[in-house]
Amino acid sequence: MEIKDLRKTLLVFSAAVFGITALAVLTIQFADLSRKEIPIYAAVPAFQFQDQDGNPFTEKNLRGKITVLDFFFTRCPSACPVMSKQLEELYKLYASSDKVQFVSITVDPQHDTPDVLRDYAKDHSVVDDRWKFLRGSIQDVITLSEKGCLLPAENLPAGHSTKFVLIDQDAQIRGYFASGEPASLSVLKSNIRELARPLIAQTASTK
Amino acid sequence: MEASAARAFRRLAFVTTGVTYFLIFLGGLVRVSGAGMGCPDWPKCYGLWIPPTDVSQLPPAYDPAAFNPVLTWIEYINRLFGVLTGFFIFATLAVAVKNFRKHPQVLYPSIAAFVLVAFQGWLGKVVVKTDLNPFIVTLHLVLALIIVSILIYITQQAYFLENPKAESASLYPSQSSRLAAALWGLGMLQLAFGTQVREKLEWISRAFPLMSEADWVEKIGNIGHLHGAVGIALTATTWVIGYSILRKSDNASPFVVKAVFAVMGLSLAEVVIGLSLVFIGVPAVMQIFHQWTASLYIGLTFALYSALRFGEQRAPVADSSTLRSPVVETS
Repeated sequence: MEIKDLRKTLLVFSAAVFGITALAVLTIQFADLSRKEIPIYAAVPAFQFQDQDGNPFTEKNLRGKITVLDFFFTRCPSACPVMSKQLEELYKLYASSDKVQFVSITVDPQHDTPDVLRDYAKDHSVVDDRWKFLRGSIQDVITLSEKGCLLPAENLPAGHSTKFVLIDQDAQIRGYFASGEPASLSVLKSNIRELARPLIAQTASTK
Repeated sequence: MEASAARAFRRLAFVTTGVTYFLIFLGGLVRVSGAGMGCPDWPKCYGLWIPPTDVSQLPPAYDPAAFNPVLTWIEYINRLFGVLTGFFIFATLAVAVKNFRKHPQVLYPSIAAFVLVAFQGWLGKVVVKTDLNPFIVTLHLVLALIIVSILIYITQQAYFLENPKAESASLYPSQSSRLAAALWGLGMLQLAFGTQVREKLEWISRAFPLMSEADWVEKIGNIGHLHGAVGIALTATTWVIGYSILRKSDNASPFVVKAVFAVMGLSLAEVVIGLSLVFIGVPAVMQIFHQWTASLYIGLTFALYSALRFGEQRAPVADSSTLRSPVVETS
């Protein structure tokens, strides 16, 4: 091969490698940045409910943890079984970390007594404190749903929202995810990872 | 006439091969940038032929939380480029049918490439439907490599139709083509190990969503060590075989010389990239290059095999000293 040819080949080759690398780096950067932009919708206001064991649970229990919250009731025939099944899968998936918790609030507090909620928890393989089932006065539940979580709560119990609410360690709402949609759940998981990053770093440094 | 038609066809097949390689690169980019589910449906994207760029354009049936315009367009550009590649492969088939019906060595592979690329498009749908099942993703890559190998074969056969005497003046050490085939086979095996490592990493990252990337890599275990060891062995073998082909050949063709140098370079680059993946913690851009370099290595060892084999088939004719000796004298 002549020197001129070799030079030309090397030039084209270097340009191609440079171009392709730049394309790859830029695309990956754009994708990473777009994933890190997780909007803040609102801060969760003060509330006071009771969990299935009768212990108080307030907005302060949201701090320092990533929370996935939903509204449900145990007698619910259609949407809730699907939602609870998905939460159960997530609950098992994050079993190794106490930094991610799940909170299900009943919209049928009259029927869903602590006993009923405890049984419901047991039916969903709950064995620790990472998944709480809360009840409070129906008015407080409506207020939290509508004013706190910005979710509709008309004609309860059937009219509750079927969205999962993602809440960060500062008790701020960071997203609403349609239960039953794999694409939404996939983003929910990636957002949990993104939000939990500082918490994981903390745990790692205290090891 | 035949030669000029063959040249035009060879150029088309060459461009098609290049386009397909770029598509493999884009596919890798989709995977490492996490844009695989950028479009939740197939073939449309969010129910549209031109996907939304803003959440306000999203049809009501879709959850806005799952919508990320950047990821959507990364995935959609990959699909559009896939369609373009399909057109190129179809054009290759059309020209093969029109001009080379009597040459099964280009006609049949052209048909195969077209059928496989159609299947590949359908497999793309399955990838999305199964929410990026790692096994299906692997199958998608393996099929891409088979298609690109077929295209390389077509390009080379077209070149040999254009230059029937190509390789006839060259004499390669015995078993050269078999050794090149062995490199190709080992390359494929190594690729299979590599996809296993990636699959395992994917399952680990799903099962331990809160672990750091470094911890995921640590959990890979034996398949990772195997992949590394085979990689180093394959590079050493490539250099030994490459060196021996270069040294013992008589008047090796420029293509064979370049291909041997390229596979030696690629194999070395692949080990360096692979080590950086382990020691720097799998930076995304390196993952694409790791996969892409492997794809180029496999394609080139295949081309090398097919050129050496073509040369071996021509050799008895050339060996009767009429064709070879003048060339040897001038070299």
